[in-house]
Parts: sequence; structure tokens; C-alpha cells
Amino acid sequence: MVTEIVMPRLGWTMEEGVLVEWLKNDGDTVKVGDLIFTVESDKALNEVEAFENGILHIPPDAPPPGTTIPVGGLLAYLVQPGEALPSQKSTSLASPKMAEQPSAVATSAFQSASKSNGLPAISPRARRIAHELGIEWTALTGSGRSGRIVERDVRAALQSQPSAPISTPEPQLVEISPVARRAAEELGVDLASLSAKMSGKRITREDVERAAEFRAPVSTSADEKRIPVSRIRSVIAERMSASAHTTAPVTLTTEVDATELVKLRKQLKGDSSANTRPVPSYNDLLAKLCAVALEEHPMLNARLDGDEIVMSGAAHIGFAVDTERGLLVPVIRDVGSKSLRQIAAESSVLAENARSGTLKSDVASTFTITNLGMYEIDVFTPIINLPECAILGVGRIQAKQVVIDADAEKVAIRHMMFLSLTFDHRLVDGAPAARFLQRIKQFIEQPYLWLIG
Amino acid sequence: MMREITYTTAAREALAEEMARDPSIFVVGEGIGVRGGNFNTTQGLYELYGPMRLRDTPIVERGFVGMCTGAAMTGSRPVVDFMFFDFILDSFGELFNQTSKMQYMSSGRLKMPIVLRGCIGIGGSSATHHSGSYYPIFVHIPGFRVVMPTNPYDAKGLFKTALRGDDPVLFLEHKSLLNVKGHVPEEDYSIPFGQAAIVREGTQATVVALGSMVRLVEKASETLANEGISIEIIDPRTLAPLDIDTILQSVHKTGRLLIVDETFAPCGVGSEISSQVMEKGFDDLDAPVMRLNGLHTPTPYSPALEAAVVPNAQTILQSIRDLLAE
Repeated sequence: MVTEIVMPRLGWTMEEGVLVEWLKNDGDTVKVGDLIFTVESDKALNEVEAFENGILHIPPDAPPPGTTIPVGGLLAYLVQPGEALPSQKSTSLASPKMAEQPSAVATSAFQSASKSNGLPAISPRARRIAHELGIEWTALTGSGRSGRIVERDVRAALQSQPSAPISTPEPQLVEISPVARRAAEELGVDLASLSAKMSGKRITREDVERAAEFRAPVSTSADEKRIPVSRIRSVIAERMSASAHTTAPVTLTTEVDATELVKLRKQLKGDSSANTRPVPSYNDLLAKLCAVALEEHPMLNARLDGDEIVMSGAAHIGFAVDTERGLLVPVIRDVGSKSLRQIAAESSVLAENARSGTLKSDVASTFTITNLGMYEIDVFTPIINLPECAILGVGRIQAKQVVIDADAEKVAIRHMMFLSLTFDHRLVDGAPAARFLQRIKQFIEQPYLWLIG
Repeated sequence: MMREITYTTAAREALAEEMARDPSIFVVGEGIGVRGGNFNTTQGLYELYGPMRLRDTPIVERGFVGMCTGAAMTGSRPVVDFMFFDFILDSFGELFNQTSKMQYMSSGRLKMPIVLRGCIGIGGSSATHHSGSYYPIFVHIPGFRVVMPTNPYDAKGLFKTALRGDDPVLFLEHKSLLNVKGHVPEEDYSIPFGQAAIVREGTQATVVALGSMVRLVEKASETLANEGISIEIIDPRTLAPLDIDTILQSVHKTGRLLIVDETFAPCGVGSEISSQVMEKGFDDLDAPVMRLNGLHTPTPYSPALEAAVVPNAQTILQSIRDLLAE
């Protein structure tokens, strides 16, 4: 273990002492009780003994005999045989001890204001003025406390150093050659941060190019791969972020008893006399009943256009379709005026076109349905398909045990489903949107209400 | 030759003139009616304006501050005279949650023209319940104007601005300044908030002095001037809004800054000024910003101990010398 030998406090009032002489030499073996050095305090001359065994190590930059050292100031070390002195220790000699003695007058020859980078400490103002006057400050000796270079040191240096002002006295201006400035613009290098790093040096084109290389490693690391963004992906990205940034989306969710809807679909599917014609899917049924509900709640079918609200005369309903290339939304026009058969026929063609990439996007939808039920999703927060007002998220249909009559303590197995309606609160408030969703719930639970057309 | 009057007289003149001009101004407090105020802040006004406009209250700060907050919201211009500013602490809840926020919460439809005045500071063995300053807390809260005049001229001019404005204003009068005399013109004038005064121009260091410290720093600067040391002294006059630009311009000139403040250092006005100068004037600094504050302790009663917890001529001189030695 390395033991520090410091200036001892010999009496309560002692703040500093003079190291008079070493009684042992550097490298001598020292035992507890050996006298190792003498100190002169303002009262007397004292011989100081060792409190540990070890080898005396007096670093080359230790205070020489005759120096006044504050109490606690580091003088030397005791090391054990074979033990190396931590290299940074010698540079911090005395200074950490000084911090504990703020009132002590700094007279130690040891102390140095040098920072870890080997440059002398300098005040921000002195640095700025040195830069303005073109003074090379790194070799100056500071006159501030703890050796900091202050303004007066720089001004004094002006007398001895030939002044070479660096063109402009404005400190906030970036020093840069026109070529380098153009390169920075081309390469997108931030000059302010670059000049901050270069502290006072003129920025050259090389500096800019190096910064650009450092900043943007275009080469990809081994575990990464870069692929260009597809057209469809960039359209999706643009539309999704436009929606996220402009709408005020609120999502309402509700659980629906879809048993009657399941029954309806089963009957349609089981109709053997219609087996050549497409059977309406759940999405087709939902599109139709949404169209009826939208007729009753036209604000959910509207869109915002500047400071006007555009009410659509018909419900053009989009379906979110997952394709290999990404999300597509084919649209069935005027769903309200079409029969379920027509809707089923159209939607199967549209979905096939979407998957095969032959979809024509000729009409804008006014409302969208997105169904994640097949992935066992119940509840989610769909993103509004701009410029629409709302989008209905459909969850899976799942048989569950539910309470039918709480008073009679009656439960039953029912086909339950969650709906998630995201609407744009800029257009519609929570209560009307909730009423719309409640109407859809009612239509799912009682299909005859909308089947009458 | 301009007349000389005391700080208290100057502030009272502002109040009397504004009460004559604007009948919606009234004063509440303990002993501010017939008695004329413990510090003579309302002396003679009861005879002029009677009990409706100089209303003595029971000792219930939260109650009358809440009442005056309501009065200010509904169009009156209350002046709450706390006598000792320490007792504003009993009305914190009203002040922070209602008085300071009401204009914001009403989208500016309600105004809050209320002046909260009281004596601050250490002196005269007032002990720890009657020596508080506490202004940093109010500077911290959005909504308050914090005004701290240091001479009779500023007292009158800033009080006028406080009484004519629509914001809650803390008007803080240091005990040691109340009987200080100074030139005050007869004619009407006012001093806008957010304009620091350069009390003395100098070149080697900037000293921002708060409240009663201005006079002590002025004396120190005279001593230093005899040694050829030139100090610039700034009195911010209002702490919220704070005129940081004047301080920055001064530091740009001198490169060194000391803030002398009688009250506690942690999270204080000096900390704030120091931070702003570091952020906005870093390259002007030739030395670390320094603060000289009163000790971080309740104020002792014993005169000897009381004197030991506040900055004095000697510690101010030493701090300036330390700053110059940095």
C-alpha cells in the first residue's frame, strides 16, 4: 500500500510549515519510528517520524527543502518493496491536500494550474482576448490565483509577442476559409460546433472533410444492412406522420356481443343455393352497417378543409389490406346504396387487386375499417387515414363466458369482439363519437336494425 | 436645491398621492389605521381616508391576503402592509396558488393589481422571526414582481409603478434604510421595473449589490478608489424582472463579478445572476463569479452574533480583493 507523507499539523494554530531537510534519502528503507524529515513551524523545529514501514519515495517534482508547505500538503510516499507508484499520483502531489486548506496561502512550489490536457488554465475572457489579439497563450505564465492565465497576462504578452490579429475582433464569428465554408455547406457540417471544438483555429477544408467523415459513417457495420425505402413505404410514412402531426386523435374502445353477427354470417355461408357467388365477409357486413351508422352520424363521415367542414353525401369505405409491399387501402364506393352481395363481390376483387399490385386508386374514402382480428388482436389505436374523420379498428371474435343477467346470476357463452374507434377530436367531440360507436355496437348485436336498409 | 426626505416618507408620499388619484386603492394590515403603521408607513393617511381605506385586520395573514386577492380580481387595488415581511409566509398558499396564477388562469381577463409590502432584513436585534428577507422564493415563482428600492428616490418612483400596474408586486423595504434621507423631487415621477441602476462606474470589477448592501459596497468602493482600484456597482432595483443586460454589459467591461446579498446563498438571487452570466457572458469572465452572502442560518438575537452573520464593510472589502486576485 502506498502511504502519503504530508506536512503534519504540529499544534492547533499551525497552517503551514517549512520542510527543512530530509533525514532519509529517496529509496531508503524506513521503519516505524524512524525520523524521516524535519519541519520548522512558527514555534519550533520538529523531527517527524514514520508511522508505517516502507521505502521512502521522494518524487523528482516534490517540494525541495526550504519550501513552505500548507498543512496536509503532500511531500513524498512510502511504498512497499516491489510496489509501483501509481503514475498519476506524482502529478497530483500536494494539490488535493490544498483543496482541504482553502484558507492556506498557496506558496508551494508544487502547485500548478495545468489541466489534464497539459495546457495551462486560462479564463474564458483571457482566451477570447488572446484570440482577438492573436496571442499564443499556451506558453504564458498565469498570474491569477492557482496560476490561471487572466486578461492582464494576455495584455502583458502583447508587449513581448509580435501581435498578429486574426482578421476580425468579433469572437462569435467562425474563422473559416471560403472554400471550407462551401465544403461545409455541401457536406452538411455544422460550423458552429466544429469551430467550438477547434477553439480559435481557422477552419480549413480538410477540417470540414474530416468532420464530415467522422459524423456520417456511411459504411454499415457487419450486423446491419441498408435497403432503399420503397415508393409505397415512403407514401405510408408520409401519410402516417401527416396524420400523427395534424389530427387530434382519440381512441374509444368497447366490447360488443357479436353472436348475432356470427349467426348471420354462418347462415349466409351455409346458403347452398348461392354457392357460386361470394359470401359477404365480416368486413363486408361491418362496412354495410357502418355505412348505415354514418348516415345517421354524418360528422364522422366528414373532413376538415381549411376553415370549412366538407360533409360527404355518401360513405366511401376503405379497407386496410396487408400486402407484401405494405399497407394498402382499397375503397368501396357508396357502400350505403349497395347490397351486401354487391359489396362482397367488389371487396373480393379489390383485395385481390391490392395484393397483386393492380389496384387503381381513383376514389378517396370517407371512412376506413381496419381489422386485426385474424392476428388475435383485441384492442388497438388505429391511425386516422387522412383526410377522414375516423377509423374503426376491429378486434377478433372470441367465444367467452359473459354475464347475461346479473340478477338471475345467469351466464352464457357468447361471441365477443372489441371495437376501437379513433376519431379526430378537431372535428367531433367525444360524446357524439361515442354515440356513433354505440350505434355500431347496437347494429352488431341486432343486425335486423340495419338489414332492413 | 431639491428637498431631502426619508425613505419611509418618500414611499408614504407615493402611497398618499396615488390614493388621492385613485379611489380604488386601499390598505390593509395590522396597526396601519389610527396607529399609522409600526414603521410609519401609513402615518396621517387614516385622517385623510378613514377606516374604509385604511383597514386594520386581525392577525390572520392568509385570510386578509386571500380577501385582497379577491378584491384585486374584482377591480380594487389593495395594498397589503405586512409590517414585518416575515409574516407573508403565513399566506404562502393564497399567494402562490391564487394571487400569482389568477391572471394566467383567467387568460388575462382578471387582473391582479395587489401590492404586498413589508420590512425585510437583519438589524436591531430583531431576531429570527423579524429579520427575514425571503425574496429569492418569490423571484422563483412566475407571476410576481419583486421590487427592492435602496434609496428614497427609488422608493417613491418604484412604489408609483407598483401602484399603477396590474400585477402582484412585492415591495420590500430594508429596515436599515427606512430613515435614510435622499433627494426626492416634488413633481410626479415613476421608475419602470426591470431597469438596474449603475450606482458607481468602474473598470476592474462589477459588484451587484442587493438592498442594504448597496450602501456598504459604495463605502468599500471609496476605500478601494483611494488605492487606485476601480469598482462598478450595480443595484438591480427590481429582482423580478431582473435587468441582466445591464449586468452583462458591465461584466463585458470588467471581466469580474461579485454579488453581495445579505440573505442566504443557496438558490439565491446571486446564484441566478451567476448562472445567467455564465450562460450568456462566459467569454467575458476573467475570474469565477463570486458571491458574498449572509450565513445560512436563522438570525441570532444577540447583537454580536447578529453582526457576525451578515456581510460587513470588512468582508465586502476582502471579497472584492479576493475577486481581483483570482
